[in-house]
Amino acid sequence: MKITLNPSHNVYRRNKTILQMLHIDGWLLLGILLLLAASTLLVYSASGGEVEVVTRHLMRIGFAFALMLLFAQIPPNILYVFTPWLFGAGIVMLIGVLLFGDIGKGAQRWLELGPIRFQPSELMKLVLPMTVAWLFAHSNFPPSYKRLGAGAALIALTAGLIVVQPDLGTSILIAMSGLFVLFFAGLPWKIIFGSILSVVASLPVVWHLMHDYQKQRVLTFLDPESDPLGSGYHIIQSKIAIGSGGVEGKGFMGSTQAHLEFLPESTTDFIFSVLSEEFGLVGVILLLAMYVFVIARGLYIASQAQDNFTRLIASSMMMTLFVYAFVNIGMVSGLLPVVGLPLPLISYGGSALVTLMISFGILMSIHTHKKMLAK
Amino acid sequence: MSERLDFNSDAEAFAEKKLFRNRLLFGFIFVLTLFGVLIGRMVYLQWFNFEHYHLLAEDNRISIETLPPTRGKIYDRNHVLLADNQPVFTLKFTREKIDDLAQTEAFISELLPNLSEAQRHKFFEKLRRTGRSRSILLPYSLSEEEAAQFAVQSYQHPGLSLTARLKRVYPFGPTAVHALGYVGRINSKELSQLDERDYRGTEVIGKLGIEKYYESRLHGEPGIQQVETNAKGRVLRKLENIPAIPGDDIQLTLDIQLQQYAESLFSEHKRGSIIALDPKTGEVLAYVSMPVFDPNLFVDGIDQTTYSALLNNPHRPMINRGINGQYPPGSTIKPFVALGAIENNYISPLKKIFDPGYFEYKNHRYRDWKRTGHGLVDMNDAITQSCDTYFYELSLDMGIDAIHDALAPFGFGNVTQIDIPGESKGILPSQEWKKTTKGEPWYRGETIISSIGQGYNLTTPVQLAKATAILANGGKIIQPHLLKDAKLPAPQQIEIKDIQNWNRVIAAMHNVMHSPRGTARKHGQGLGFEMAGKTGTAQVFSLNEADYDADSIDKRLHDHSLFVGFGPIENPQIAVAVIVENGGSGSGTAAPMAVDVIKKYLELNTP
Repeated sequence: MKITLNPSHNVYRRNKTILQMLHIDGWLLLGILLLLAASTLLVYSASGGEVEVVTRHLMRIGFAFALMLLFAQIPPNILYVFTPWLFGAGIVMLIGVLLFGDIGKGAQRWLELGPIRFQPSELMKLVLPMTVAWLFAHSNFPPSYKRLGAGAALIALTAGLIVVQPDLGTSILIAMSGLFVLFFAGLPWKIIFGSILSVVASLPVVWHLMHDYQKQRVLTFLDPESDPLGSGYHIIQSKIAIGSGGVEGKGFMGSTQAHLEFLPESTTDFIFSVLSEEFGLVGVILLLAMYVFVIARGLYIASQAQDNFTRLIASSMMMTLFVYAFVNIGMVSGLLPVVGLPLPLISYGGSALVTLMISFGILMSIHTHKKMLAK
Repeated sequence: MSERLDFNSDAEAFAEKKLFRNRLLFGFIFVLTLFGVLIGRMVYLQWFNFEHYHLLAEDNRISIETLPPTRGKIYDRNHVLLADNQPVFTLKFTREKIDDLAQTEAFISELLPNLSEAQRHKFFEKLRRTGRSRSILLPYSLSEEEAAQFAVQSYQHPGLSLTARLKRVYPFGPTAVHALGYVGRINSKELSQLDERDYRGTEVIGKLGIEKYYESRLHGEPGIQQVETNAKGRVLRKLENIPAIPGDDIQLTLDIQLQQYAESLFSEHKRGSIIALDPKTGEVLAYVSMPVFDPNLFVDGIDQTTYSALLNNPHRPMINRGINGQYPPGSTIKPFVALGAIENNYISPLKKIFDPGYFEYKNHRYRDWKRTGHGLVDMNDAITQSCDTYFYELSLDMGIDAIHDALAPFGFGNVTQIDIPGESKGILPSQEWKKTTKGEPWYRGETIISSIGQGYNLTTPVQLAKATAILANGGKIIQPHLLKDAKLPAPQQIEIKDIQNWNRVIAAMHNVMHSPRGTARKHGQGLGFEMAGKTGTAQVFSLNEADYDADSIDKRLHDHSLFVGFGPIENPQIAVAVIVENGGSGSGTAAPMAVDVIKKYLELNTP
């Protein structure tokens, strides 16, 4: 029998710092604040110095930050209890999107609930990995094939509902966040490699099923110069922005590609190109270092977590953060197809930031709501 | 949290933790590896390919705009403006800002009903192929109303903007069109021949006449402006500026008042040409080729219907008769033949020949225009009365080559090198000419009709005017030209063996106008000055022996009416050649027109 003490009634109470009282992890906070500061500078520059845009950005940051603080206060066992309900609600809303969804840019992604326009797929970015982790919370690692199969089924259901919106990019990324849970739960390597092989083998079939605009994106990706004025234009201009930044960059506010409007979506999806143009290779390495710092801290928190549920959600959230960063940077530098994905914590934009900050809140909660273990 | 977790044995928990930490480590290495790949990509782009992308970014940023030069204006000898540039409104289309080309085309068709469908289609086809950051101009000048209408609706069409450009305008319209020529849109053939750098931003080029001949002087040199533009092609900042050098203004020798007057003389007879030269210098005072057309039609591109109508007009207004109309000179050639004969002693000027009304050679009768004959005629009489028989007989003594040699120095059968492109040579026959072009020997009978300017002889009006001017100025081989400050070599002089011979011929031409038997005596009366002239009537085709009845055949087959002359006789200031196609007799039609032109010119130049 282990003795558990609520940390808030800790004997070392008087030594607690403000951070501890707020359930905040200092290192993680430092990394996040650095990234958000970089984000504000870049949004300011990419928007051509529009104070209004930066103000809105800061307000969003403030809102997301508040949510992070809020979620940091919620003990993980409360989340654990709510997880299956959240998942059920998420699935219902995804079906709702398909039936009543608002059609924006040729895909139904938005759901209107009273005054709120809402993207259920955004919610599922958090809830799907939590649900799979919930499924494995009582298992040994690795879980039984039955449970792994059940986890895979949940992933497939969610991804399937999103892919028909159609939103292939989000669907793949959400599936990945669930698959990371399987991976960290100890999915046997033979299954991992077997699945990768079968995915590769099924690519021709996928190609056949893809929408024309998706095929076009792939083709453009393979040879952007083939359509320099059409679909390849964005990538070509983005590469010009990155390459012309050189090692040292053109300096803050020096992105001619963004300011002269050659770069599309310079405050959102292509903000990395602005960073590369203005701060060069040095800036790129600094940004990646900040990501590595945050991810490393998150994985450390996972390693220190006390139960399977929190281990799995902490680790999969960090891997998901990594995948978003990697896919966005790979996309704007011409390594990966254009999937329309913001750069986490850097791009201007609301919903992705909110989701991300909530996940950091959960991460902090995991780290600060520990049971005292008697050794 | 779950209670079951608490029952896990320590060993089990440890194994689980170890598995999980291995996976975490693996995940972290995965992260570092893929971030390493990204850094590799960045090194590739930012370090190894920096120069390449740096240049591309600069290319993006800086675009070079060509500043087209302003085309030189054209003035007449009295500084009257003949070709001007006027600002007109047109629409500028920026490809990137136009979302729906079909809708824009529909809007244009409604806005500009005068723009033909074919032109509109052609333009939108071009627009479709235009790069997204480029903008092009609609080749159409908007009226004030159209511009105002567009301004009201322009907010719906961000890709369209109203701009002013300079358009070539010919204020006198069709007057002197065959001398001035016109400018029109540069076609692909012209584009391949010119230096594209000089014509960037320029839409038109000289197509004919002076506009074409002096294209390089009128065009000027384009300037360059380096500008910083955004992706939408909007200029944000000017970086460097080399201004365009405008084309030279040029002054012509034409007198537009005389020109207008001379053209007005063609009211009854539609087709023909009048060339008036200053015999001392070769300056072209009037250059008439009728009918005319309006050069302003061509500046923005002529529509197919109007163009077809011009091409199919039976009077052939597009033909530049002054340099390309090749006519038998008829009797206007006689003074030159006579001068050659007496200078080279083929006949004495005083020798008389009997003319029964025909000349017989090898059982063939060559008729004189006067059935009853002129009786006994000497050289003076032969010119004054235009006696054919005299020249028939003389020609056989001379032979065709001697006639050729006497006429060649006056410029017959060769280009005058007037500064209008595309001049025809005409034909001055000789034995050698016939051998090389027709591969046949010369027949003596052909010499006979050559002596009165028929047969193979063909002359352009400019040639005829030039020859007349040389006769008037005492043998100075002038070069007809329209450019006032033309740099010409000093004229050569025809060898004069006896100046009295020249005076005799001119005296005979004086008699044409002023003696009681002169063919143009009617028109030489009461002029207030004295002049020299020679009428000519050129048969369009041989009517053989059949009687000529002007009313019974198609008017197109009427004889061409010709006249050459100069005045005042004591100090010739103007030499004129007139050809009226199917105008009938030279004395009836061409002579009074030439006299009127000379008279008008002298009036205009009398203080």
